[in-house]
Amino acid sequence: MTDPSSSCATGPGCITCGDVALPLTVVEVTGPDARCRTDDGREELVATELVGVVAAGDVLLVHAGVALEHLARRNGESP
Amino acid sequence: MTMRFVDEFRDPELAAVLGREITALCEPGRHYKVMEVCGGHTHTIYRYGVQDHLPDDIELVHGPGCPVCVIPMGRVDDGIAIAEQDGVILTCFGDMMRVPGGNGSFLDANARGADIRMVYSPLDALRIARDNPGRQVVFYAIGFETTAPSTALTVLRAKKEGVSNFSVFCNHVTIIPAIKAILDSPDLRLDAFIGPGHVSTVIGCRPYEFIPRQHGKPLVCGGFEPLDLLQSVYMIMRQLAEGRAEVENQYTRVVAYDGNPVALKVLAEVFSLRPYFEWRGLGSISSSALQLSERYAEYDAELRYDVPGLRVADPKACQCGEVLKGVLKPWECKVFGTACTPETPIGTCMVSSEGACAAYYNYGRYAKQRLHLEIAT
Repeated sequence: MTDPSSSCATGPGCITCGDVALPLTVVEVTGPDARCRTDDGREELVATELVGVVAAGDVLLVHAGVALEHLARRNGESP
Repeated sequence: MTMRFVDEFRDPELAAVLGREITALCEPGRHYKVMEVCGGHTHTIYRYGVQDHLPDDIELVHGPGCPVCVIPMGRVDDGIAIAEQDGVILTCFGDMMRVPGGNGSFLDANARGADIRMVYSPLDALRIARDNPGRQVVFYAIGFETTAPSTALTVLRAKKEGVSNFSVFCNHVTIIPAIKAILDSPDLRLDAFIGPGHVSTVIGCRPYEFIPRQHGKPLVCGGFEPLDLLQSVYMIMRQLAEGRAEVENQYTRVVAYDGNPVALKVLAEVFSLRPYFEWRGLGSISSSALQLSERYAEYDAELRYDVPGLRVADPKACQCGEVLKGVLKPWECKVFGTACTPETPIGTCMVSSEGACAAYYNYGRYAKQRLHLEIAT
C-alpha cells in the first residue's frame, strides 16, 4: 500500500485534494496494476485500467493511485 | 534534480517575454477579469507570483475548483456520524481531515474515539477493507472528475472481488454546473476562463463549448506550471484582441480534446447524477454531483447508514462563499489571517493549500507586503 503520510501530504498540500496529477514512470507491470516511480525515486502501485496497455518505461499521469492518461511511451513515441 | 514535464515550464525569462506579449494585447483603459476555475491553478498563481508577470489591467479571479473548499458543513457532520457507528473505519484524503463541520472536524472526531484514517487512494481504502473483514470500511469520496474515476474503479474492483465490507460516501461533484452557476451569478462580470487541466484530462474540452457559444466568453484549458498559466492568459488575450470566443487547449501535452473515453465510460457505469447537491458558497445546484448508480447501490454508504443529512449554515464571520465565487479576495474577508489561519481554519478555503485563502496566506501576502514596503520607501 502507498504510505499515505508520505504521498498524500507530499509538498505543500494534499495532492489528491489539490487535484494534482503527477507524471510517473512504469517500472513493472503486475496485472491491472503497475509499479511506478516518480522523478525523486518514490514508488507506488498504480491502477492502469483507464489507460489501456502499458509497458515498463512508459510515463503515466497519475492521480489518487490511478493512471488517467498515457503521457509517453518508452520508445519516445506519442501514445 | 530535473523534473520532466515541469522544469521547462518554470523559466523566468520566458515568463517575462510572455508577460510583455500579454501586456501588448491589452486594450488601453480596459480591465480584464479572468477566472481560473481550478484550485491547483490558484495555488500556482500565488506560489510562483504569476500575477506579478501580468499588467494591472488583468485580474485573476479565483473560482470554486478546490474539491475540499466546496464541501458543505452538513456533509462533514454526516461523515462523522458514520465514523462514530460501531465497527466503522472511515477513510478520506488528507486535507479532508481538517475541514470544520458543525460538530468539529474528522480530527476532532478521532480525538473523541472514532477511527478515521487518511488514505492516498480509494484503492488503499479497499485494501483496508480486505485486511479488516470484521469491520466496515467507508471511503469518504470527494473531488471533481479528476478523482471520481479512481472511486469508480475501486467500486468495480470491490464488486469483482466480492468485498462486501466496503462502501462509499459519495460527494463527487462535476465542474460544468458550477461554471454555469458562476456565469448566471449577477455578482460577477468575467471576460474569460482558464479551464481545469486535470478535470479536462477526463472530460475533455468539448463540454466547455457552451461558454463561448452561449455566453461569448473564451475558455482555455490550462496546465499547472507558471508558464502554462501565462500562456493560457496569452491565448485568452489573443482571442479577446481578435474578437474571438472559443475553447482552446493549452495543456495539449496532457489533455486530449475528447478526454479519456474509458474513464468516462467507467464513470457512467458506476455513478448517476444527483437531482441536486449543496455546494459551499454556491448553494444547491441541480445535476451537479454524483451518487452510486442503482447497479452499485450495495456500495452506497448513504443507503447503509443513517446520517443526519442536515444543512448546516457556515459560521457568520466566514466569507468563503464570496471567495469561492470570486466576489471577494481572500484578504477582504473579515477573519482572514486573524481568527482564520491554516492552523485554525474557520472556512474551507483556508484548509486545503489549493484553497484561495490558504494559498494567499502561505504565499501571496508576502508579495503584497513587499509591494507596500516598496511603495512606502
